[in-house]
Amino acid sequence: MENSAFRSQRKWNIGFILFLTLLLALLSQISIHLTLIMVLGISLGFVLQKSRFCLVSALRDPILVGMTQLTRAFLLLLGISILGFALVSWSAAQRNIPLSLNIFPFGVHTVVGGLLFGIGMVLAGGCSTGILIRIGEGFAMQLVAFFGLAVGSVLGERSVKKWSNAFGEWPGIFLPDILGWVPTLILEIIALSALWQWARWWQKKQLGE
Amino acid sequence: MTRFAIDIWGEMCPIPLIKAKKKLLSMQCGDILVLETEHSCTSRGIVVWAKANRYTIEEKEVANGIWHLELTKTHE
Repeated sequence: MENSAFRSQRKWNIGFILFLTLLLALLSQISIHLTLIMVLGISLGFVLQKSRFCLVSALRDPILVGMTQLTRAFLLLLGISILGFALVSWSAAQRNIPLSLNIFPFGVHTVVGGLLFGIGMVLAGGCSTGILIRIGEGFAMQLVAFFGLAVGSVLGERSVKKWSNAFGEWPGIFLPDILGWVPTLILEIIALSALWQWARWWQKKQLGE
Repeated sequence: MTRFAIDIWGEMCPIPLIKAKKKLLSMQCGDILVLETEHSCTSRGIVVWAKANRYTIEEKEVANGIWHLELTKTHE
């Protein structure tokens, strides 16, 4: 652009696009399913990097600086996910496709694990996707965090049975089974809107408008 | 109209903003705070924060992955 500090990224961009296209073409010879997952993964990564979405900031900033913009973006994300999840589960049920979801009941170990993850998240300056984006951008510090993330996930995954046995789990509740899909969706959207309003009120109060 | 600068190079995300907030307290109205970061989220976060606080801020990417910010303390 206006000064020489900008080095053109064009040859890198063309190179990567070429590499990805070839890789996807190769992969599609082996499995269409894998190719679709790969495309979805790459698109998600691209959007995440460009959107600067930061889960850490969404949870930390309301307390630290009184800003809730990202918190509200996160609530919007939850709302969209809820609708998408409902659509997928509902259409799967219509066509009798069994869904295997990695959803586990809540327990004391969930809270402890969440706290541990939260502390690590703030120290590392990014959640799991945030760290992956940073590594892609070329930050070295996040490689260390990624190592910790990988070790932690493996250890957690291996020992989760033990923890849930030791602490006990709450009985799992699936709201649509009790209330039906439509009331559940309405309830959830109302709850999210209430949180949204609360977040907006919080920022106004904190910044003294 | 004094120009101040603080070093936030390489700092993890909440720290630049906390440092900037602290520095702003000691500045007079009309003073400018100059910040430079290599972290896009830090830059974005400070810009959003400054706008929400009704400070004037200018953001410029001066080189690949380096952002230069100038924040004017327009009010107390």
